[in-house]
Parts: sequence; C-alpha cells; structure tokens
Amino acid sequence: MSSGKCAATVTAMLMLVGASLGAENIRKDLHFKVGKRPMISINNPYGPVLVKAGAAHEVVVTAILHSDKVELDQSKSHNRVDIISHLLPGSDPVSGMVEYVILVPPDANLTLHSDNGRVRAEKLQGDLTVAGNDGAIEVIDCAGGHVHVRTLNGMVSLNNVHGHVEIMSVGGDILMNGVTGTLVAVNSNSGKIEYEGDFAGDGEYAFTSHTGNIEAVAPAYASIDVLARSTNGIVQSDFSLEPKHAPFLVRGANSLSGTLGKAASSVKLFSFSGRIRLKKRQN
Amino acid sequence: MNCLQFENALSDYLEGTRSSEQQAHLSSCSACSSLLADLNLISAEASSLRESDGPAPHVWTALEAQLRREGLIHEASRRPLLPDFLLRWKTAWLVPVAAALLIAAGIKLYQPAKIGDNQPIAKNVAPGAPVAPAVSLDDKDIMTTVAARPPAQVAAYRNDLDQANAFIRDAQESLKNDPNDIYSQQLLINAYEQKQMLYRLAVDQSDEQ
Repeated sequence: MSSGKCAATVTAMLMLVGASLGAENIRKDLHFKVGKRPMISINNPYGPVLVKAGAAHEVVVTAILHSDKVELDQSKSHNRVDIISHLLPGSDPVSGMVEYVILVPPDANLTLHSDNGRVRAEKLQGDLTVAGNDGAIEVIDCAGGHVHVRTLNGMVSLNNVHGHVEIMSVGGDILMNGVTGTLVAVNSNSGKIEYEGDFAGDGEYAFTSHTGNIEAVAPAYASIDVLARSTNGIVQSDFSLEPKHAPFLVRGANSLSGTLGKAASSVKLFSFSGRIRLKKRQN
Repeated sequence: MNCLQFENALSDYLEGTRSSEQQAHLSSCSACSSLLADLNLISAEASSLRESDGPAPHVWTALEAQLRREGLIHEASRRPLLPDFLLRWKTAWLVPVAAALLIAAGIKLYQPAKIGDNQPIAKNVAPGAPVAPAVSLDDKDIMTTVAARPPAQVAAYRNDLDQANAFIRDAQESLKNDPNDIYSQQLLINAYEQKQMLYRLAVDQSDEQ
C-alpha cells in the first residue's frame, strides 16, 4: 500500500472512531448570572476541569459527558453555584468522564475537585481550592487570593501566581515558577519541590518534604533569610550567605543558615532525607 | 469576605465576636468551615489531654523552684515560649494545632505497650531493620472506606498511607532525639497534615460515590 493510501485509510478510521465516540458524548451548556465574588464549586470525579476568567457576573459552563452513566447536578442559590458530575450505577472512570470548560468572573472564589482529571485555572483573582488524586493541577496567572492545592500523586504546576499559596502533596511533584506572596507553603512527601523566582513580597516561603528533593533557583539580587536542613540528605547553596544564628545547630553538609541582601523574605527549606539545593539563577 | 480576611479575623471569631460577613463566608467556603471544625476539634482534644495527662500543679511549682535555684531562669527573662522565627512562620491557629499534635505524638511514643498490642513502636525497632508499615485501626477503617474503588486506586491509596506513616515515624524519631527542635516539630506537623489530607480525601470521595 502506498503511503498516500495508508494515510487516507488511517484518517478515515480515525474519523469513524471519532464519529462513534462523538455520538455517545453529550454536550451540556449552562449559564448562571452571579453577583460579585461568587462562590463556584465543581466536583468532577473523572475528567478534566479547565477554568478561565470570563465576563463579570456570568458563569458559563460547557460540559461534555462521555456517556449516559453520568449526569450533571447543578444548583444555584444566592451567589453560589454548585456543579457535580453525578455518577450513576455501572459507571467507571471512562463512562463516568465529564470534560468541563468553565468561564467565571475573575473575582470568583472556586473549589475544584477531580480524582484523575487535569485541573487548570487561569487568570483568576479570587480564592482557589483544588483537590485531586492523580491528575495534574495547573494554576496560571492568578493573583490576589488564596490558592490551596491538595493532591495525592498529581503533578502541581504554578506559574506566575501571587498571593497566599498552600500546597500539599504526597507523591506528586510541585513546580513553581514566578510564585510570590505573603505565604508560600509547600508540604510534600516523596514528590520533589522546585521553585524558580525571586522570593519577593517580604513573604514566608516554607518548603518541606519527607524524601523528595527540594531545589530553589533565585537571582543574585534576591533578598532572603534562609534556613535549610535535611536530616539525612545534603544541603547545597550557590550563594555566599551572610552567616546567621539558627534555632538549631548548623553543622556539616546537612544544614545552613544565612542571609542574602536585606533578608526581606524568609525561606525555610526542610527535608527529612531529600537533597536541598539553593541555586543561583544564571542570566 | 475572602479566606485571607476570614483567617485574619479568626481569633476574634473563636473568642465569640462573630460578624454576619464571617458567618456568610463560612457557609459558602468549605475550606474555612473545615478549618474551623478542625480547630474546634483540636481545641476540645487538647483540653481533655491537658486535664487528663498533665502533671499536677505542684510538679510545675517544684520544677520552677529548682530551675531558679540553679540560676537557669530569671524573673526578667520572660521570653516567648516559641522562637520568633516560629511565631512569624505560623498563623495564630497553627500553634494550638502543633501543641495538640505534639502531645498526641508524645503520648503515642511513651505509652507502654498493652497486652495484645502487636503494633511496633518506633523506639523498639532495631537500627537498620526494615520497618513494617504500622496499620492502625483508623487506617484499617479508612482502607475499608476506599475498598470499593478500582484495585489500582486502592493500592495507590495504601501506598500513600504508608508514605504518610513513614513520614510520621521519621519525624517522631527525629523529635525524640531533641523534643525542643523546631525543625523536627515542623516535620511532624507536616506529616500529620498529610495524613489528615489522606483521610479527608478518602472520606470526601466516598461521599460523592
């Protein structure tokens, strides 16, 4: 078979598969009028949830249900919108899947949950609480509110987030780029913690792990008060820190304490057996 | 009112000064309402622990007198119990959480083994020996809660629970070596928070199915 015929056959098969899958999918469009700072809750056991900032005073939900084994429960009371993917008897992670794309007012407060689907929130200014099991969690360009993330094994990625940030993960890696705030607290077990940014905002940055490695990359101009310790791992720093009294004995390669610049932000890097590295960003 | 504003006014709320805004936020925010529920539970547990397990007042008096005689404490040196660094790190509510967790950890570590209690405690484990995952009754309950899920999820949950328990054991060991070490205290607090998260996610997801 020529390559042209082969490609045509594959394309036709894909179209047939797509059409048959598409025939089973059910699309739901929901619109809600809301006031200032509405509370929006999405609980979707199986499938992705993508939330973006849209128009003020309006919530627009597009949901693709993958079968009739799942239905949407919706409720609105006062300034609160709740949407739940209700699994029906006989459903499983495939037939129970629902894909959500949601536009919310930028100042909305959100609670999102998905067991295994990707959760992504963009350009929001309200409080954001995300919980999941295995799906990746991405928070992008959010500022002004609290960001709380809880996951068992999903990767957590925060980009350009400013505010009060708390992340907890058992096995999922946590990657932060340009994350600043009054409090940035990360609690991981075996997942690695990576931070790249300038630790701005006179904040408290507390990264703790059990076995996961912790790596923080900061520019030479960073203004930080650093305390780092790993019971059974090594601690390394590219910076020449001004020595400072620590609330514990600083010895060997397992701990360090010191300041850089005016020490505006507090940075605590604690691990039980993970390796801790404080790296200088190369320009 | 958002979560930050609510947390800033949380101490007033706990002391009984409650605004309608706070009530409205509580009714619409699951994170803050569960935080408040946790605080109330911990507060109640801490009170009962203090009453039932704390040394008698004369023990503290004798201890203070002895420390004064040895010149280890002075009237003028009234320093905060926690280092300034720790005070700044936490929001106010985390201190009672830490206290309750440390009390619980201490009780667990120093409780003599009961007849029929075959769960190993950390201090009896020989150095270098493989540590068998401890399965508490609570863990068994929570595994029963998730038992109906797909096998891969159950296995992953079991693994996560083992990881959280290992974290707790390591932090307890670390704390045993130096009970005043704030670093070890922080590790233990974080380890318990992870286990709390596991329990909460297990229960939340069971509710939805």
